[in-house]
Order: sequence, then structure tokens, then C-alpha cells
Amino acid sequence: MKDSLILLARVPAHPDSRCWFLAWNPTGTLLASCGGDRSIRIWGKEGDGWVCKSVLAEGHQRTVRKVAWSPCGNYLASASFDATTCIWKKNQDDFECVTTLEGHENEVKSVAWAPSGSLLATCSRDKSVWVWEVDEEDEYECVSVLNSHTQDVKHVIWHPSQELLASASYDDTVKLYREEEDDWVCYATLEGHESTVWSLSFDPSGQRLASCSDDRTVRIWRQYLPGNEQGVVCNGSDPTWKCICTLSGFHSRTVYDVSWCHLTGALATACGDDAIRVFEEDPSSDPQQPSFSLTAHLPQAHSQDVNCVAWNPKEPGLLASCSDDGEMAFWKYQRPEGL
Amino acid sequence: MESFVIPPQAEAWHQEPQPLRYLFPCLAPSSDLFCSCSLCHRYHGEGYQEGYVEGSCLGMTEGRQYGVSHGAKIGSEVGCYQGFAFTWKCLLAQCPTEKDSKKRKMLDSFLGMVQKFPYADPTCAQLHEDLDRIRGKFKQVCSLLSIQPNFKVNSGGSALSF
Repeated sequence: MKDSLILLARVPAHPDSRCWFLAWNPTGTLLASCGGDRSIRIWGKEGDGWVCKSVLAEGHQRTVRKVAWSPCGNYLASASFDATTCIWKKNQDDFECVTTLEGHENEVKSVAWAPSGSLLATCSRDKSVWVWEVDEEDEYECVSVLNSHTQDVKHVIWHPSQELLASASYDDTVKLYREEEDDWVCYATLEGHESTVWSLSFDPSGQRLASCSDDRTVRIWRQYLPGNEQGVVCNGSDPTWKCICTLSGFHSRTVYDVSWCHLTGALATACGDDAIRVFEEDPSSDPQQPSFSLTAHLPQAHSQDVNCVAWNPKEPGLLASCSDDGEMAFWKYQRPEGL
Repeated sequence: MESFVIPPQAEAWHQEPQPLRYLFPCLAPSSDLFCSCSLCHRYHGEGYQEGYVEGSCLGMTEGRQYGVSHGAKIGSEVGCYQGFAFTWKCLLAQCPTEKDSKKRKMLDSFLGMVQKFPYADPTCAQLHEDLDRIRGKFKQVCSLLSIQPNFKVNSGGSALSF
């Protein structure tokens, strides 16, 4: 099982600092990393190695916690502990900060673009989630401030095809939002985790959502539309999200990140025990109660906490990870035979 | 705290009063067991009643004070939002450009939320939810007006710290 994750390269991405997050551009040719050194680095493949194409050092006064590419690949958004979100515009190999979004009271923890590219979401330690609208002139306008969480909001992601937003929080819940008339509303709260929910990932169809937590588990939630065959009760016209699988007993520390590969369906996790794990759904299991098997486990993937795992969107099985040790690593995942 | 007053009936009941026996008349060396037990019930009942009345009275005062101060805080916060929104509406009315119409619309919707706030009913279940929505809308309005509200609580207290 150990051979199913092969190390391709290891890069000191943010030396003497923590590397917090990685994001592949939509074509899978560039990888953005961010860290405790307040910088964002853009990486590209040259030959067998990964080289730094640009350093975006000016822009933030404190740790850059997360980065996100726009669906067109021409913009990069960065969320920082300095309470701001920067929007960077790509001009060939150069990046220019075109807008700084202010409004959060303190640390911005995450940022995400909607699939249309016209909406952006940010979340913060101030317990709020903000939705921003982008117009043709690259002007950003706040369209909603959502105060549904009772604690620090750790992560936000958009549904892969619809304008649905999900957020994960220190209050142990996941919340889902949709637009209603002129405003955004929270229409579902996913309760089940026993501690902080750190990250989220939708499956390729957007029907299922994976969440990972400080309670050392990963939960899989499934959407049930009103009038579903399974008889899951829905509130009005809103779908209900139900936990259909809990992956427990695999992780020995906090699970910081989860990534669902949209090409292969494999689920990778980043854990505080320095390990990377990959799970796959058993093809014969009931879709209403699926079971997942651990197909790869690399105990010392990094020398410290693994903060992020990211599947390349175009090359099946190419996984990038980064850690508190400041390094990032590239892995080749091979599905074990017999699955 | 008021001092404990020995009921006059107790004086008559025993010539040499001992504190424990006042509190627990059943302990008194009495040949009439029935008599002492009924006294026990009587004093217990009276004491309970007096304590209950006094406790209720203190509780009412304390609860009232808490309600007044908490209500005043919320009132002052929502009132501040209302004044803020009115001021900005007036400022924007003087230069009615195309771009400002969106801001005015937003201020109107914000004022609508403030006016619908259930001031008169502190038991309204929606109250805190409404307050959270108003706070969110206020941040959105500030963002649209390009104002950075000062949320930091300093010793002097900022106008926008609640």
C-alpha cells in the first residue's frame, strides 16, 4: 500500500516559515502557495522540477492563509491575517494587486470563487462570511454579510456548478447558503462533528460534500432533494444534507484538509500526524450508505503537520501537499490493483 | 441583609431560648410532640414565605436592572445605526448620481430592517436573529460606502463599539 503514493519532488516553498495552502490554476499548469512569510509564490513545472515563477511579496502585512484562482485563471485571490483579501491580476508571468477587499474585523481565513467567476466569498475569525460581487470593471461590491456561525469561520467553498456556498467553523458545524431575493441566507446547518471543522470538498457532481475535523474524522454528506425516493424529509423547497459515512479510526490527530479529486473520485486528507492518506469509495457499496477504503497511507509525508492537499485538476493522480515545515511536495498516486 | 428577628411567639414558647431550638422546634424538650411539630411546620412555612417574598423582590430588582442596561445597549446600538443611515441618506441626496442610487437603495433597505426591529417586545424570539442580520447589513452598508468602521474597543470607547 505504501507504494501507491510516490514522491515526485520536494520543494522548500516557504523556508523558515509555514506553508499554509496550495491552489492549482484551472488548467493545472501553475500552483500557488502561501505562507507565514506573508508571501504568495507561483510555481510552474520545468523539466522534472518545479520552479518559482513569481513571488507576490507586497500586498499583505501578515500571514497569507489561503489563495484561490478565479475560474478563468486570470485572477488570484489571497486571504490574510491582516484582515484583507487581495485580488491579483495575471499579466503573463507577472501579478499585480488590483484590489484590496476590506471589511472583515480581523483575520481572513479563507477565500473562494464561485464557478461563474462573478462571486467571491471570504470568511474570518470575526465569525462572518462575506459574499462579494464582481462587475465588468473589476469592481468588487459586498452583497451580503452572513453572521450564522457562532465562532471563527475556517473555510469557505462553492458548489462546483451551482451558486451554493458552504462554510466550516470552529463552532463544529458546516453551513450552506443560497441566494434569496436580494440577500443570501443560510438554509442548512450540518451538525455531527464533535470539534472544529477545518476544511470541505465537494465531489465532482456536487451531490456530496466531505468535511474534515479536529475530531479526527472525515464525514461524507449527501444532498437529498425534496420528494427524494429515500424519503429523507426536506424543509420546503430546500434540499436536506445528511451524513451518509464517517471515516473514523484512520487519523491519529486533527484532519486539516480534505480534497476530492474531480477526475478519479479519490479522497485525500492532510493530517496533524504528518501523514497523507487517500481513500476510495468501494464500488460495490450502497450509494446511500457508501463505504470507503484506505488505499494509501504515507506516515511521514512531511516532518510536521500537513496543512493542505490538492489534486491537480487536469492530471489524474498528481497530488500536491504542504506543511508547517515550510515545504511542499508532489506525489503520484496509483490506485492499488484489484479496486 | 436584614438581621434575623426572633418571632414573638417563640419567646412565649420557651423560657430559655436556644438558637437551635428556634430553628428546629421539634428538638425542644417537650412532652407534647404534636404541639412542637405543628409549630415546626408553622415556622418553616412562615420563614419560607418571608424568604420567598424577599427573594422575589430582590430578583425583580436585579432582573429589571439587567434588562434596563441590556435593553439600553441594544437600543443605543440600533439607534446609532438608524442615525448613521439617516445621515448618509441626507448626504447622498445632495449629489444624486447614478452610482449613488444603489447606495441609497441599500440604505433604505437597512432603515427598513431597523424600523422593523421588535423594540417593544423583549421576549420576541426573532430579536437576536434580527439584530445579527442588522449588524451584518451594517457591515455591508459600510463596505458599499467605503467606510471602515472602527470596531476596536479602546478605553474611551468608540462610537461604533458595542
